[in-house]
Amino acid sequence: MAETELKVGIISCSGEDVPEGTISRLATRRVLELLRPGQTVTLCLPLFLAGGEGERAFARDFPTITVDGCSKQCARRGTEMHSGPVSAALVITELLPEGHRGSGRVSTRATDGSDEAAVQEVARVIAEQVDAILASPPHPPTGESAAASSCGCGCGTSLPVGAIEVGGQSVTIPGLPLMLQQCAQEGVMAEAADAAERLVQVVGIYHPIPDHERSGYARALLAAYRDFLESRRT
Amino acid sequence: MDSVANRVLLIPCSGIGKVHGLIAREGVLRAVEQAFGGEVQTMCLPLLVVGDEEARRLVAQHPVITVDGCPKLCAYKNTELAGGKIARSLRVLDVLKEHKGAQPGTATTLSDEGWKVVDALSSELMGEVQALTGSGEVA
Repeated sequence: MAETELKVGIISCSGEDVPEGTISRLATRRVLELLRPGQTVTLCLPLFLAGGEGERAFARDFPTITVDGCSKQCARRGTEMHSGPVSAALVITELLPEGHRGSGRVSTRATDGSDEAAVQEVARVIAEQVDAILASPPHPPTGESAAASSCGCGCGTSLPVGAIEVGGQSVTIPGLPLMLQQCAQEGVMAEAADAAERLVQVVGIYHPIPDHERSGYARALLAAYRDFLESRRT
Repeated sequence: MDSVANRVLLIPCSGIGKVHGLIAREGVLRAVEQAFGGEVQTMCLPLLVVGDEEARRLVAQHPVITVDGCPKLCAYKNTELAGGKIARSLRVLDVLKEHKGAQPGTATTLSDEGWKVVDALSSELMGEVQALTGSGEVA
């Protein structure tokens, strides 16, 4: 991310116990993907506690809008408690009158027109808030979270990034150190005959590996894994 | 929620950044929907993030199965930090291993393959619930 590029953070509660949590999630995704792509980022709310200082710096570095499903306002409270003050706080039950909050289903498996209308309206309000913030930016992101938001998927998650060389090309893999760590915790031995295949399996779940490049990835991941194990010993 | 019948709490990470969080969320919702006799219940993980007293009491008193999408293990860590009684911890990563090559969709929408993974996850969850309720681990 360029240092002067201002993005607005959107934190959704995504609460799984109430239908409004689903609306908050889908409306946030809509703004990220369709309405204001490139101008907005998000972070999983539970990462404020489970993550590190990079995650907790999120609201200090990005002007942040919280989107809550219910009056408990976990997204706003959680963000303010663990990260910093928010620029705007939206609550679905205040934004949408009763009877206009979708079908009442929590799962996205069978959404209908009423859910779509609710999501559309909340997404419109979030986008308005994004525009208002960008119209008078307080400061560009310059802190730790800006530097850490480099996983490249636009989610804003500060996954540590690893790079390997495959076929003479450098390939960046968000979360690679965590995947290597997982293999280490599973007891994968770098010397084992199936170590490279296991690494390809684990990394392949998160990072697409074309069939014709599997052997190249296998060699590169095994080398990276050896380095990782070595760095843990020193 | 705190009735005797609602014994096992299923808590997904519901991560919004990647498809794995959506699979965790939908897998838990499916398991709750399929459960007979109300032996399972979910609760919003963000309640633990803000230190909600009632939520903390529930996770301390009831066996919890956490379901995480990514290696950051937010559901597990937040429940543990809240003093929760974690009986089992499932990872979407492990379920996906059984669906090699599947393209499950995005953090917004699941594909047909994604819903198959959700169904597999919910089946695994129900198996874990049955193991817990049948093993006497649930008081």
